[in-house]
Amino acid sequence: MTLPTTTYSVNDLPGLNCGVCGLRSCEEMAARLQDNPDLIKRCIYLSDNRYEAREIATENRVNPLNYPVSPVPTINAQPTLSTCAGCATSPSQTTSFIPGMSNPWRDSLGREFDFYLEHFPEEPGPREIILPHNPLITREMDIQVGDILIGRPLGMSCGCPITHCGVAMSVDKRTGVIVWCVTGPLNPRQNGFKDLGYYIAEGYEGMITEARAEIKIGMRYFFQPRMCMLQWRHSGLVNFMNRTPTGYQVRVEGLWIG
Amino acid sequence: MSQIYFDHSATTPLDPRVVEAMLPFYGANFGNPSSLHWTGQQSKQAIDEGRQQLADLFHASPDEIVFTASGTESDNMVLIGVATQYKPQDCHIITSSFEHPAVLETCKYLQKLGYEISYLPVTPEGIVDPESLKQALRPNTRLVSVMAANNVVGTLQPIAELAKITKAQGALFHTDAVQAVGKIPLHINTLPVDLLSLSAHKLHGPKGIGALYIRKGVKIAPLVHGGGQERGIRSATENVAGIVGLGKAAAIAGAEMSAEASRLVKLRDRIIAEVQNQIPNAYLIGHPYKRLPGHICLGFAGQEGEAIHLMLALNEEGIAISTGSACSAHNAGQPSYILMAMGMDAVRARGSLRITLGRFNTDFEVDSFLEILPRLAANLNTITSREFAAVS
Repeated sequence: MTLPTTTYSVNDLPGLNCGVCGLRSCEEMAARLQDNPDLIKRCIYLSDNRYEAREIATENRVNPLNYPVSPVPTINAQPTLSTCAGCATSPSQTTSFIPGMSNPWRDSLGREFDFYLEHFPEEPGPREIILPHNPLITREMDIQVGDILIGRPLGMSCGCPITHCGVAMSVDKRTGVIVWCVTGPLNPRQNGFKDLGYYIAEGYEGMITEARAEIKIGMRYFFQPRMCMLQWRHSGLVNFMNRTPTGYQVRVEGLWIG
Repeated sequence: MSQIYFDHSATTPLDPRVVEAMLPFYGANFGNPSSLHWTGQQSKQAIDEGRQQLADLFHASPDEIVFTASGTESDNMVLIGVATQYKPQDCHIITSSFEHPAVLETCKYLQKLGYEISYLPVTPEGIVDPESLKQALRPNTRLVSVMAANNVVGTLQPIAELAKITKAQGALFHTDAVQAVGKIPLHINTLPVDLLSLSAHKLHGPKGIGALYIRKGVKIAPLVHGGGQERGIRSATENVAGIVGLGKAAAIAGAEMSAEASRLVKLRDRIIAEVQNQIPNAYLIGHPYKRLPGHICLGFAGQEGEAIHLMLALNEEGIAISTGSACSAHNAGQPSYILMAMGMDAVRARGSLRITLGRFNTDFEVDSFLEILPRLAANLNTITSREFAAVS
């Protein structure tokens, strides 16, 4: 907003001397405003509208610590449940969609999937089979079981914009393939790490404990890795499955995001 | 390697003056303040003084202060303590979609009990629009809870205006002021807020102690029942040392607020300007001025996925900052709901850095940070091979 040229006196200001504008007192602000009226925007208690600012300042002579009525900013169009493609749920008019309040069987972009892929309960995070883009670095960096690694999945099959952190569970020095469990950044922050750079996610292994479709080996599914940092669905081919008392243990390969 | 702490929204180091005030209550002054003998009364007197110091920060009356164990407990006490006075169908609660989990998770709990909750949207600049509150109010709205300052973005909310709208409807207004207390003036005598939550460890006080301001005449049901301490609203033997520490921290914050806020704003704005100057794809998240004095939330266009990488690299240089969303092996599962509530997509919502300055940060530390950050950012991977600047 372009402010009209004006002059301000200390009486136009709230008199709080709060320092939140970057100046120590309203007196100092008033002095600076003579040369730089735009500075008034930095007073969080006054709007950047000259008329309102003066009106509020007048109110505050009586009630000097009152907060102003600020101009109403444009409301961001929030995604609502009803805007999800094909979503049958109809939220109440005043209830907004809360990211993170999950809609079962839809990812954060509203796309359907068939099962959640959970990590093995005894492991620190989701198990992935990965190959550095230069497999030689597995040897060159002398990656060992237990090493803390970071890297970003790039390109085919499962490119992701997020750098991942994890701990090596097994290492094949001949092929460069590493099996790791993805964890949060706490471990590398505390204990240091080796940076793989880019890698390819070749496969996932984990448990299916919740599914809305029958799971068959050899079938390709849309699924949601429970710990996916973007909560985007993935797709992949189930090429190993084993029934256990707590669900299916599976391996999924041929991964794609989406 | 020197260490730099730029994560004051997570917690703050204890001010040595606070430690000094607290120490006697870990030693000779050990009495239970409910005891009538000499040592009990020493503790009672210390609690009274701490209560007065905290009340002074708000221009409130000491009998409007209830001590709790945390800001989270204070928030729970408000939401549950108000709601359970009504049948679920008679009690509608409004909050914003980017509150701290202490509010949002409690609201989800109340929803399971049958209470209706409305979540106000947030503008892309990270501010709750008062007009949306007007539209959300219903005849059975009993409580509106909107934070004073957001914990990730640092934006200040128009709580005076929101409170006025709420009061006109006859409902109670609560603000989670955990991030704002001691940093901006919150004078209850002119701010029509009924309930206000705070936590000592965000203002250079000790952990394990919080408080709730309850305006005279406002009734809430207690969460904790027992010996009737804190006027029966929060039973439990008082955390005397904690209360002394909170009182002292409040007194220091009140006395030094003007000088400290203006100093931090200068450091904050210097970092923002320098980072945007040196790193073309850097962008500021949230309103440029309506934010806490020492609070910066940055994104890096095209490198949002590298926020964790950057945070780790800064950590190796001895600089403690946060990523915008809480990150650990336990909760790395989702992008920041706060940034998504501001309209960001999931990638951007994963990719922010939160840099929050505090009382003991210096110009020299900012110099070091501004030397290190651009160097580290230049080494990050990008999601595109083509260089581009941040879109404002």
